[in-house]
Parts: sequence; structure tokens; C-alpha cells
Amino acid sequence: MRLAFWLYEGTALHGISRVTNSMKGVHTVYHAPQGDDYITATYTMLERTPEFPALSISVVRGRDLAQGVSRLPATLQQVEHHYNPELTVIAPSCSTALLQEDLHQLAAHSGVAKEKLMVYAVNPFRVTENEAADGLFTELVKRYAAKGQKTAVPSVNLLGFTSLGFHLKANLTSLRRMLKTLGVNVNVVAPWGAGIADLARLPEAWLNIAPYHEIGRTAAEYLEKEFAMPAVYDTPLGVEPTLRWLRSIIEKLNEVGAGCGATPLSMPALHDFSLDGMSAPSGVPWFARTADMESFSNKKAFVFADATTTVAMVKFLRDELGMKVIGAGTYLERDADWVRKELEGYLPGELMVTDRFQDVAKVIEDELPDLVCGTQMERHSCRKLDVPCMVVSPPTHIENHLLGYYPFFGFEGADVIADRVYLSCKLGLEKHLIDFFGDAGLEYEDADAANETGGAAGNGHSSVGGSTEGEGGMVWTGDAETMLKKVPFFVRKKVRKNTENFAQESGELEVTVEVFRKAKDSLGG
Amino acid sequence: MLQVPGDGQIIREDNVTHSFCGLACVGWMYQKIKDSFFLVLGTHTCAHFLQNALGMMIFAKPRFGIALLEEGDLSKHEPSLEEIIAEIKADHNPSVIFLLSSCTPEVMKVDFKGLADHLATPEVPVLFVPASGLVYNFTQAEDSVLHALVPFCPQAPAGEKSVVFLGSVNDATADDLRAEAEELGIKVGGFLPESRFDRMPAIGPDTVLAPIQPYLSRVAVKLERERGAKTMHSLFPFGPDGTRAFWEDLAKMFGIEVDLSDREKAAWEKISRQTDLLKGKRVFLTADTMMELPLARFLHSAGAEVMECSSAYINKKFHARELQALEGVRVVEQPNFHRQLEDIKRERPDMVVTSLMTANPFVGQGFIVKWSMEFMLMSIHGWSGVFTLANMFVSPFDRRSALPEFDRDVWLEGVMPSAEKVS
Repeated sequence: MRLAFWLYEGTALHGISRVTNSMKGVHTVYHAPQGDDYITATYTMLERTPEFPALSISVVRGRDLAQGVSRLPATLQQVEHHYNPELTVIAPSCSTALLQEDLHQLAAHSGVAKEKLMVYAVNPFRVTENEAADGLFTELVKRYAAKGQKTAVPSVNLLGFTSLGFHLKANLTSLRRMLKTLGVNVNVVAPWGAGIADLARLPEAWLNIAPYHEIGRTAAEYLEKEFAMPAVYDTPLGVEPTLRWLRSIIEKLNEVGAGCGATPLSMPALHDFSLDGMSAPSGVPWFARTADMESFSNKKAFVFADATTTVAMVKFLRDELGMKVIGAGTYLERDADWVRKELEGYLPGELMVTDRFQDVAKVIEDELPDLVCGTQMERHSCRKLDVPCMVVSPPTHIENHLLGYYPFFGFEGADVIADRVYLSCKLGLEKHLIDFFGDAGLEYEDADAANETGGAAGNGHSSVGGSTEGEGGMVWTGDAETMLKKVPFFVRKKVRKNTENFAQESGELEVTVEVFRKAKDSLGG
Repeated sequence: MLQVPGDGQIIREDNVTHSFCGLACVGWMYQKIKDSFFLVLGTHTCAHFLQNALGMMIFAKPRFGIALLEEGDLSKHEPSLEEIIAEIKADHNPSVIFLLSSCTPEVMKVDFKGLADHLATPEVPVLFVPASGLVYNFTQAEDSVLHALVPFCPQAPAGEKSVVFLGSVNDATADDLRAEAEELGIKVGGFLPESRFDRMPAIGPDTVLAPIQPYLSRVAVKLERERGAKTMHSLFPFGPDGTRAFWEDLAKMFGIEVDLSDREKAAWEKISRQTDLLKGKRVFLTADTMMELPLARFLHSAGAEVMECSSAYINKKFHARELQALEGVRVVEQPNFHRQLEDIKRERPDMVVTSLMTANPFVGQGFIVKWSMEFMLMSIHGWSGVFTLANMFVSPFDRRSALPEFDRDVWLEGVMPSAEKVS
């Protein structure tokens, strides 16, 4: 038992419904107390679904439990009558799992044809969102994928694209555009938009593409084993990974094509991948080499995300933007080993693995990085600390469901991410000018911030002769405070903290001008 | 859809619905009682619900949290919350901790009452609040919170006649209601709840309870039984008609005769543009907040045609006046959403009042929609709320007519592939 305020991963039910809400003709029935179908609101509000998500609740009431009544059979009949889905997935809730109700038997009592029902009885106390989603999707693929004739032209399946995925539609569009440029057909996208018949014809494709480590990979592995379908598991995030991804697709498709005597594919001219068809497909390689970006070499970044994104973002920041990655972590414990292996040699220390946002916030506070790539939660933690943060990973929030085209995958994705890094970090030349001339007229921002937090800097207590207490509890003399004010506002917080740490370590009880100078000398200005 | 004998006009169905559980009350109650902490003993599901559906992401120091039951905790006889309570006290220093039950520990038959008593100290009481979806609709958990607060309302001596308003409203609305009562010569004893734990109102045998929210029947009954207080049964103070009845009936309980017909007339006149538009409009209310009865009654009085008013629970005594005012309107308790969806698609009402889970899909089907939860978050009580209330029903119509024509085949393509036809 622990006190939790906020959790990164959703529940098993959330994972199950992400898959079924993605699919055509598939309904989910939750056997749960009123309120457990709050999940519906995440689709109708975040994805603004113009139709009802195919989710129904078979309400469990305290009175029913007392009387030994279950409404599940009746609910299944009603769903059958009103929606006639091809398949209904029956999922337990925490309470019904605890009651150890036999969902198979209850389902059989509904009289609905057995082949139209699927009980997915995961343990909601053990299994969480991604594992449930990946598990259910794999079950569905196992159940429906059927041997079929390979398509005449080279084709791929895109697996793991799931409702409420991070920048889902833009990522999908980016991959579709690149595949089109290669001359490769998309056979099926699943689960997003796929029906049962689409799952059946998955094996008709030449190749599976499963870019998410969390969802879709297990199904691709199954198809590889059972149907001898090759697969590409890489994530095309960043320019070099995208190029490798494209080469890998061409290579694997050509291996399949060789068997049926198809004309081999080759890599098109790279400008064919650009939006106008006549430019470099991405601005990142040149951008990273430009003079003002040199300052990025000293920028310290911290990444905390799901497994796929943590791996891809760390590599992108270091390999393509030349930033310093001072640490990284993930909230997906079951994928931690994979992340460690992928990031071997990339991290100065251990990979952080936790689902407690407070621990992540503590690291950010201690390190005060120049850039944090995280979830909505890190954005929130960073706002309090005045640390630049960009959101790169689920759990998604309404702000991650925007209308514009902001992919993270592919060449266009590399540009989107680089732009966001650039806008999030303090800028190159501008930073030099501010460093040199001090506040550059931007002092008011600090005063506002100080007023908001009730801090000492802007409230008059810092007049010469008086003294104030810093955030760490250390007392600053008025003179030292005045000196601190000459430090540019956007690093002031960091300087204050470092100075207080220095003072504490040297056994000082307050920060005087002298202590401040010593700290500056010792910490390198 | 059986008519239950003796139930008059109420049709009772089987509640296949889209609504929240009682934990949702945390969203407004922790903000109302400012020195409180709300601790839910629950699972990952409860935590996920609070952070997602309510959009209550993350505050610097939220005054609510989940004591998270994990698999290993399920086999334990009684959960041990000492450490968590100590953590909350150290970080938040609350005057009171509300311990909310949820489905899983209720199934585990956790003795919440005993647990709360065990954790309580004279300095910081820990109060049990039944809130699970096994028993309660989401607004009813406020009733549970108020129920738990009763022992902390001082005893008012006999002969001290005053009104205590039941229901949490913001300070501005509370000030309005208070001023209005005093103007009528009614002594105000306070509000249950007040915004601080140590300022709960005194209640005694001569207290008149005036419920201002329609989902607080249990606390009223408890106060009648334990303190001998009297509950006023009137319309709820929404709209010109409800507000007039509310104040006239309340005054009557204090031996004051007032005629507020001019005031009501003036209030209707103030919203004549809105009622002109609502006249004859066919409105369908699905069940969500339990505010449906008074809202439907206001619409009915404003000249709209209420096609169906459904609500999770209807209390024939507590809601008697509202039901009376809805004579002739189809009223459904514990509605079946599948049936409602079919009716709505067939009958095509002009407006659907529905939960935030179902609002956008109805819009996608071409309906004009009002979110029901918004009525809980806006100041719609009393005379000062009349304009806001009327506008809330009218603004979706205004907005629809201000936006250009919408061809759903064009503009919804690709938005939700799972809802497109199987090819």
C-alpha cells in the first residue's frame, strides 16, 4: 500500500479499451460497478469521437452481489441486439476479479454465439495498460489471422497503432507517406481502424512493421513464427534511424520478392521524401551543424518516457543534435531491460525505473537540466522548477491531441522534434547576449515569477542590510541577494541552489557576498 | 420497460448507463472544504479515473490522494493506513481527513467505520465516506460527505429557529442565498458544508433544512432523526419558478407569508429571449448528475417539451414537488442507455442533455447537446442564477446557428476509423 497522486500507466481496462476502441465491429463489455466506464470519456473527450465508442458496462451493484444476480448475460444480449458486433470482448474490473466470477460461464448464459464472445480475463491487479493492450491485440491476431495469398505488389502491415497513442495519426501519416514514396502498399493498419476481416488478411502482407516496443511487437513476433513473416521492429525516430528503417524495409521486402521473382525495390532519391519532392527530406542534419547550435553541445538533457520513446529520444538528442544526456528513465518496469540494452553506452549512470513521479521530479530538481523530455507530469514538475520541458510520451493529455500535423516519426518527425527542442531550450546567440549584458530588459519576468511563488527576490525584503531566506532554508544577506539579482533571471534559480549547496557543504550558515563569490569561483562562475 | 405498480409516473429500467462513481465528488468537495484531505482507499482504477476523467491532473500539492491497494494487499484482513495518514498529516496538515471507500475494498468487506475510528485522533478526525459505484451515483457521495460531517455540527438549542442550507456551492452563491433569506426576515444558521471544517453550522430541533441540491436526501433524513430538524420540501431553487417556490415555502416555515409572483414574472421577463427560443423545443435528458428533475422542470416551465427526463435515483419524498411539477412528462429512473439511444435516434430531439462521456458522439450524430456536468459547476441557484441557467440551455442553439453548415461525410472522415463501415 502506498499513497499515490498520479500514475503514468493506465489500467488493464484502459489497455483493452484502447485496442477495441481502435477496431471496427468489436465491442467491449466491462463487468464492473458504475463509474468504471469513465474510460469512455477518455475517448469521447480526448479523441473527440463523433460516434459512441463501442464500450458498454454490465453494471454490478452492491444489491446484485447480495442477491447473487449478475447482469452480464442480459447486457451481452442487449449489446448483441442493439449493435450486433462481430466480436464482444468481456473484461473484468478490479471488483469482479476479486469476486472470482466465472465470466466464461456467465457469458455462455447469454445465449450469444460462443464465437462472437471473447473473455479477456486479465488480472487487473497485476496487469496494466500496455501489457493488456499488447496481450489482447496478440490474442486477436492469433484468433483471426489466416493463411492467405501474398499480395501481388510489395506490402506491409503497420502494427501497434492504437487509440490514444501519442501523436498517433500524424505518425501514421508520416509512415504512410514514406511507404508510398518507396512504392510499398499498406495492407493493414492494426488495431487502429482494422476490422476482424483485416486481422484475417494480415498474413497476406510481405512484411510487418511494429515500431512500438509496448504494443504490436508481440503480435509481429507471433506472425513471424507462425506465418514466416519478416518484421521490422525499429522505431523511425530521427533522421539516421529513419534511413536505417527504410533500408531495412527495402532489404526485407526484396528478400520476400526474390522468392516470387518480383522487381527489387531500391532507395529513391532522398528529396522524393520531402513535402515538395525537391528538397532535403529533413532540415535536422544541417540545423545541427549550424554555428549557433554549437551551444547545444553543452546542453544537458534528461529523458523520462515510455520504453520506445526513451530509447529513441536519448539517441536523437545525443546522436543527431549533439546534446549531453545526463540521465534517462522509464516508467515501464517490464521493458526496463530492453531499454538498458538499447541505451548501453548512452547514459552516464543507471537507467531510472520508477512509476513515482515524485522521484522523477526530485532528479529534475537536483540536476536542473537544460531540457527535459518527459510526459505531461514532467511538464508540470518542470513548470514549478522553471526548467524547460517538452512532452514526448504518453500518457496523453488533451494538449497532445491537436489538429495540426506534428509527427514524431520519419523525416518530418525529426524536424518537428528538433523545432520543439529549439523552442524549449534557451537560445544560442540570444543567450550569449543575455549572459553578457545581464537581464536585457527581461527582469519583469522574474518579478512576476517571484510574486507568484511568494519568493523573496521581488518583494522588497531584499533591500540592502536585510536578509532573506532562500528556498533551501538558507539565509541570504541583502548584499548577496542584490548580487544574485545580477545573474540572468533564467539561471538565477539554479545559481541560487548551487550556491546554497556550496554554502551548506562548506558549513556556512548564511550566504554572504563572500560566500557567493567563493561559490562562483568554485563552481566555475 | 415495466411500469412498477404504485410508482405513478416513474418508469424504472435496469441502469445500463454512462456516469461516474461517487469518487468524482472529490473534484468539488476538496475545493469546497479548504482545510480537508480526501483519501480514497482504492485501486489503480480509482487513481486513473480521478486523474483522467475529471481532468484533475496534477496540482502542486493536491489535497486528495489514493491509498493504493496492490495485489499483495488483497489478502490482508485490514489495510494498514497509519503510515499514509502520517504522510498526509506531515505534508498537508489537514483539519479533517475524509476516508472514501471504493468498490474493491467494499468487496473485500473492509470495516471502514472501524478503520476510520482507529485512525482518528482528537486533533484530526478521520471520517468514513461511502462513495463506491457499487451503491452510489456520483453526486450522492456529497451526501455521504455531509452525512459524515453531522457529528461536527454543534447542537443548536431548542427555540433557536434558523435555516441551514444543504449543499456545497461557491462562496458567491452562498452569499446571495444568505442575503436573500435575510431580506425575507429568515435567520440563517449557515451552510452544510461551510468552507472550513471548524465552522460547520449548528443544527437543532428548530433548524429548518433547505436542500439546495437534489441529491442530498440521506443527510436530511439523518438530521431529522438525530436532531429533530425539519426538512423543507419544495422545488429546488433553479429557475424563476423553482426560486419563487423555494423562498415562499421557506418563508412559510418561518411563519412569514410572502408573494413573490412579481419577482418571478420579472425573472421570466429577464430571460424572455431565451424562453422564446426554448418554447416548443424537444429536449431529452439522459441520467448523469441527478439534477435532471429540477432542470427538466425548469425547461417544462419555460415552454420546452421534455421528451424524457431520466435520473439515476428518484426519491419520491425528497423529489415530490419536482415530480408533481413534471406531471405528464415521461420520467425514467435507472434508465437503459441503449434504449435511450434508439429512442433519441428515432425521435430526433432538438437538444440532448447528457454526460461528458456521451456528449461528443451525440454532437457527431447531428444533435445539439448540453453537458450535464456543467450545471454542477456554474452558479445557477436562486434569482441571480436564472440568467446563467437559461443561457446554458440556449447557448448550444446559438452556437450551432453561428457556425457554418456541416457536412459530416466530409468533415468527419478519418476522425474515428473504428466507427466507419466495415469494408
